[in-house]
Amino acid sequence: MNAPSQEYKFSEITAHPLIRDKWEKVRRYFFLRESTYDMTNRCNIRCEGCYYFTGEKQFATENNDRDDWRQLLEAEKKRGITFVVLAGAEPSLVPQLCEVCYRAIPLGAIATNGLKPIPREIDYRIHISVWGNDRTSLAIRKAPDMLTRQVTNYQGDPRAVFVYTFNPDNIDEAREVTEKLAAGGLQITFNMFSAPVGYQGPLRHTPESLDRTKQVMTELLAEFPETVLFSPYNIVAHTRQQGLHELFSCSYPRMNPSTAIGLGRSFRQYRTDLQWNRDAACCVPDTDCSDCRHYAAGSAIVTARMYRHATDPVTFSAWLDYVDTYLAVWVRGYEKGPNLCEVPVVPPPNNS
Amino acid sequence: MNKTTTRVAEIIINELKLEDVTPQTFDADLDLVDEVGIDSMDLATIALVLRDEYGIRIDEDDYPKLTTVRIIAEYIDNKLTSGE
Repeated sequence: MNAPSQEYKFSEITAHPLIRDKWEKVRRYFFLRESTYDMTNRCNIRCEGCYYFTGEKQFATENNDRDDWRQLLEAEKKRGITFVVLAGAEPSLVPQLCEVCYRAIPLGAIATNGLKPIPREIDYRIHISVWGNDRTSLAIRKAPDMLTRQVTNYQGDPRAVFVYTFNPDNIDEAREVTEKLAAGGLQITFNMFSAPVGYQGPLRHTPESLDRTKQVMTELLAEFPETVLFSPYNIVAHTRQQGLHELFSCSYPRMNPSTAIGLGRSFRQYRTDLQWNRDAACCVPDTDCSDCRHYAAGSAIVTARMYRHATDPVTFSAWLDYVDTYLAVWVRGYEKGPNLCEVPVVPPPNNS
Repeated sequence: MNKTTTRVAEIIINELKLEDVTPQTFDADLDLVDEVGIDSMDLATIALVLRDEYGIRIDEDDYPKLTTVRIIAEYIDNKLTSGE
């Protein structure tokens, strides 16, 4: 859907009660400033196409000293960081370090494969990665009964959200996975396989797989609105031929030279040796930027482009749905509301 | 402070709900990022309110330059003068 040609004032757009309510709801979270942290260079499985085991960061020395981590997180807090993402390789293998992070900065999320439960006292959002049904997981991730074990570990856990990564080979398995999670009262959101630098394997999306993914996402969102944390604009933003950078200009330091404000100023991606490198700093380092449709990247990149979406009520509603979704996926206790915009809005022109 | 500077200060105070400061006492040369603590989303919100007020477009690429109330006011006045 194209935006209406009429020019609206922002005050006119936000005069609509539903838009105003959602705007006031999401803007309360504009204080979030994120950085990400690789917690360990170990993992209990080895997945094809894993971004962690690409590039140099996998060879960083592992620092397991709680005091060092405590000092780092306290310094991060002083630097203005209010939200942490604990990732690579497998944070559940170092729960003691996750707890140190939680004690210092109580808002955050952990990206895990879900095979080893993370202690309940670490009250971050838990993102459990799913790459298909158990047969596919066994083939790609070399782990048997993966979804079954993930569901068992996180049944009834309000921290949990399952993250289904679509690739060309598992598109039609998303229904089976969503049905299983819906039956268990669990929630799911969608990710797109985004190729690591140099990866030319079969998991890289094609124009046909993007179209098919869009279709399946649309069906699942309509059929499982209580289970699927997504919006029509999320589908648009993550399944277009152009990646996120081409559509919105990535605001992470790796692609953004400005250090004046926003992610370019505050975001850091720490490796397991507690060092960071501005040239590599983004939420999914070593991803091929031209192929990046990653859910974590979009959460920041699309959100940061508020101004260009404030053109008319429909486009701004789509953006609000996206931000409402991102907050529900990432922030413990945040409840997603109904999507305001049910039509697929075309992203605004990218003039950056 | 000129009229634009005062109005920009007033908008920032209102949008950020700043306390203990008025448009007249707001230091127009205060660094908004370093000293007031605003971030990109705050600045985008302020840019939209300024767009409503003055009918000008503030390019996203210009955000990093808009570091003080005085600079924002000059930016607006330049846009209005050039008729952009």
